[in-house]
Order: sequence, then C-alpha cells, then structure tokens
Amino acid sequence: MPGKPILEAKEVSFRYPDGTPALKNVTLAVAEGQKTAFLGPNGAGKTTLFLHFNGLFRPERGKVYFAGREVRYDHASLLELRKNVGIVFQDPETQLFSASVWQEVSFGPLNLGLPAPEVKERVLAALSAAQVLDLKDRPTHFLSYGQKKRVAIADILAMRPRVLICDEPTAWLDTRRGKQIMDLFAGLNASGTTIVFSTHDVDLAYSWADYVFLLKDGALIGEGPPEAVLSDPRLLAAAELEKPWVAEVYEELQCKGWVAGRRPPRSKEELLALIGERGARGAELRKVK
Amino acid sequence: MLKIDRYAYTNKLRCVHPAEKLAFALAMLIACLALSSRLASLLVVLFMAASAVLRAKIPALFYLKLLLVPASFLLAGVFTVALSFSKDASLFLAGVKLGGCVLGFTAAGLATALDLFLKSLGAVSCLYFLVLTTPAVEIFALLRKLRLPPLFVELMALVYRFIFVLLETAEKIYLSQSSRGGYATLKTAYFSLGQLAANLFAKSYRHSQLLFLTLSARCYTGELNVLDEPCRFSPRNLLLSILAGLTLLAAGYCAEKGAGPFAR
Ligand SMILES: Nc1ncnc2c1ncn2[C@@H]1O[C@H](COP(=O)(O)OP(=O)(O)O)[C@@H](O)[C@H]1O
Ligand SMILES: [Mg+2]
Repeated sequence: MPGKPILEAKEVSFRYPDGTPALKNVTLAVAEGQKTAFLGPNGAGKTTLFLHFNGLFRPERGKVYFAGREVRYDHASLLELRKNVGIVFQDPETQLFSASVWQEVSFGPLNLGLPAPEVKERVLAALSAAQVLDLKDRPTHFLSYGQKKRVAIADILAMRPRVLICDEPTAWLDTRRGKQIMDLFAGLNASGTTIVFSTHDVDLAYSWADYVFLLKDGALIGEGPPEAVLSDPRLLAAAELEKPWVAEVYEELQCKGWVAGRRPPRSKEELLALIGERGARGAELRKVK
Repeated sequence: MLKIDRYAYTNKLRCVHPAEKLAFALAMLIACLALSSRLASLLVVLFMAASAVLRAKIPALFYLKLLLVPASFLLAGVFTVALSFSKDASLFLAGVKLGGCVLGFTAAGLATALDLFLKSLGAVSCLYFLVLTTPAVEIFALLRKLRLPPLFVELMALVYRFIFVLLETAEKIYLSQSSRGGYATLKTAYFSLGQLAANLFAKSYRHSQLLFLTLSARCYTGELNVLDEPCRFSPRNLLLSILAGLTLLAAGYCAEKGAGPFAR
C-alpha cells in the first residue's frame, strides 16, 4: 500500500563545478512510508541525488518536490525542509563536529528551536534507539567506526524527521552491526518514518526494501519492487550489479523442480523455510510409498 | 596530548563539577602567583601533585613525567637568571674570571632563580590539574557560561575536535605510505613526508567543506548550539577550594611580614 509521493525529482540534472555531470534528467517519486533503496555502482549519483532531497544542492535543471510542494531555496523554506528530511552522511567522520557525543546529538534538535528539556529527552531517546546510550559521556574521538556511525544516525533520529535518508548505511560495517542498523530502520519505518537508503549491496536491497531505484552514471535506469527489478538480467547487467544470491539459488532450485513457490523468497530465512517445507513433504511421500 | 585527554575522561574526579575544579585550580594559581614565598610555591606544587595523584588517581609516574617537560626548559631558562656578572669577586659562590670581571653564581641570583623556578612549576601544576581532571569539552562549556564570545569558544571546540581528525588522517596516510616502503630510505622518507603534508592539507580542506554541508543538513544557521550536560554542583567543594587558596594566601602574607611558621 504505497502512500502518496513524499519526495519527488522531476527532470533533475546536476553538474559539479568541475563539470562532472552527476545527474542526468532524473525523474522519480519516493512513496511515503516505504523502505526505498537506491542501488547503483560507485559514482552512479546516489549521494548527489540525496543532497538534492535535503536542499543542500540545487538542481541545474528540473525541480525537487517535498510532500507535493516544490522545494524553494530561501532560508525559511530550507530550514522547514531539513526539519522534515534528515540525512545521515556516509562518512560519520565528516558529520561529527563535537568532541562530546551528548553535545553532538543535541545540535540538531536545538536548531529546531525546541526547549532544553525536550532536547534532552530527544537526545536520550535517539541515543538509546541507536544503541549508543552507554557512550554518551565518551569523547567522539575514542569511538570505533561503527560507534561513530551509530552516533551519526542518532544525530538525525533526534530531529525526528518524516523522511530519514541514509547514505550507504552498511558500508564498512561488519554483518552483525549492519544488520542492527537495518533493524533499527525497520523499527522506525514501522512507526511511520519513510526510509531512503543507498547501497551497492543487491542482497540487502532485495531482502529489505519495498521499492528499488536503479541508478547508473547519473541516470535512472530502472525502478520497481525488488523481486521485479532485481530479477531482470538486462537491467542488472546495465547497472553492473549481480543477481541477489537468494533469487539465484531459488531460480536454480525451481529449474530443477525441487521447490515450487507461489512467491519467490526474499531472504535467506524464507528460502530455507521453503526448502524445509519441501524436505518435509519429500519425507511424507517416501513414507506413503 | 592524547594521554592527557584520555585521563581527562577517566580520572576519579571526572564527575566533580568542572566549575569546582576550575575554581580550585584558579585559587591555587592566584595564591602561587601572588605570593613571593618559596615555600608557598613548593606547597602548591606538592598539593596539586597530591590532588592529581591521590584524589584523581593519575598514575604518579605519568604525572612526574609530565612535570619534567616544563621542568627541563624551566631549568634552562632559570639558568640565565641565576648567572650574574660583576666586578666584586667576593659576592660569588662560584665563577670564572673574564678580564677584570667575574661571571658566575651569587647567593642572591640563585635564590631568585629558585623562586622563579618553583613559582612557574606551581603555576604549571595548577593547569595540569585542570586539564588532567576536566575534559576539554567541559572547559569549553564553562567558558561559554562565563560569557566568553561564542565565536571564540566554538572555534576552540572545533580546533580541538579537528586535532583528532587530523591525527587520524595523518596516521592513515603514514601507514599506507610506509606499507609501500615510503619511509625505507632517508630520501624516500623526505619525499613521503612532503606528500603527507600536502595530502593532509588537501584532505583537511575537503573535510571542512563536507562538514559545512553536514551541519547545514541539520539546520545550521551560523551558531553551533549544543546542550551542555547537567553536572552536579557542590557548593561545599567550591568553598573548600576558595578556603584552601585563602589559607595559602594568609600564610604567605604572614611569612612576608616575618611572622608565623612560614617566615624565611
Ligand atoms: N565534490 C565533487 N566534485 C566533483 N565531482 C564529484 C564530486 N562528488 C561526486 N562527484 C562525481 O559525481 C558523480 C556522482 O557521484 P556520487 O553522487 O558521489 O555517486 P555515488 O554516491 O552513487 O557513489 C561521480 O562521477 C563523482 O565522481
Ligand atoms: Mg556515495
């Protein structure tokens, strides 16, 4: 049940000052309440597009819309937009400006003009949601990369945006930490926050996202539900991506006639369940014979 | 630098309100500077050392090493103060004849030098106590509360944070260079170091640009507003610090008047 579009780009083109064309005539709409993935190889333009959604970059041509309204670039409109659209940057090192975790996370909500007690409550809630409450008295420079990343996420959580954009949330994190972050996002999404993230990990996008956009060389080359987009060999080849392994194994099993699925499995767990079902049925058949 | 920072966050006085620690350090600093008593300076040095080592549990050896840093160049500086140059050879405890004059140490010169040495060491001890027990972030917060210009405090806080970013970046570049033999010979070492410096500058510039972007994304409008953490404030500690300073001042005053146990 996709909601109304919350973020839209219409024919957006953008070039960096050095002339690099980073976005070419991109038109797309992110539906409210969905978990949306932007997939593409390095340099596809994912980060550049995200910076447009938050009003940090202004399109050279085309327009950006938030909740149906065209984004304007005066001071007050930008503040209003950034209050609603939070972005977690890829490298936490460039986002953390304070030597104190507590002060770092309080910066955003204070800028929203909230009173101190509410800021305090939000900082505590954000720190505990990002599982870094125990780090609140530690200086940022003693934190590990994964801890910094989670503090960077708490930074934005404390602002309680309607849309949370996260650039490469799992890059350079170990599997477990990456999963923790995605679980955190799933929880936020369940309580109504739209989640937008970029990745070049097809398996993650396949198992986690409701909707996928494929970017390549600054252009949108495909979009749709992950099981449709990520099973299309032509699209995948164009985006220089591999098929998700769950989909690949499932297709192979189906070809051999070993599993009969109504719906392709989206995750390892679903695939295993499918194989388990089949195994159980196989055992029953043998018993009857 | 890094070790001091680490102790600032882990010492046993971490939870004491920074204002109290600042008041204590300042009271002792004023007492030390206002008094021209050798004994008072020595007392401050010892008292601050005891506070840092016994109360804040800073390892004694580390504290000693830290004191040796200023002590070594204080000695060099004080040496020139101790040296005197005069025609009257009878004043000198030791010296060399240079023509008609004598260059050497007089009792008065040595006394001045010792006074100066102990006073400086006392002052340094007060500052050490503060930086060893109070994280920089809390000192900045205090300065903000004391109504120092926000720009000034923000700048200090940013510089402080960036020291660590810069160190980390430098370390990464250094590692990647040395893993490829960048520091194998003196010649390549010079070259690599130059590259490191240039690279560091470029990276820092890029970093500052990105930081502006990330701050703007969080509604930055020119002021780095942050919420200071609430700290328990104990008037008792504050009173004790002021009392300690006053006692020392009074004792020193009596000593100068030539009365009491501190008489010279
Ligand atoms: N600051 C910059 N200056 C010039 N070119 C840039 C800059 N940042 C990114 N680019 C270029 O813009 C294109 C898109 O980059 P980016 O949006 O970072 O892609 P992605 O996030 O998908 O890896 C790339 O070709 C990249 O080299
Ligand atoms: Mg990117």
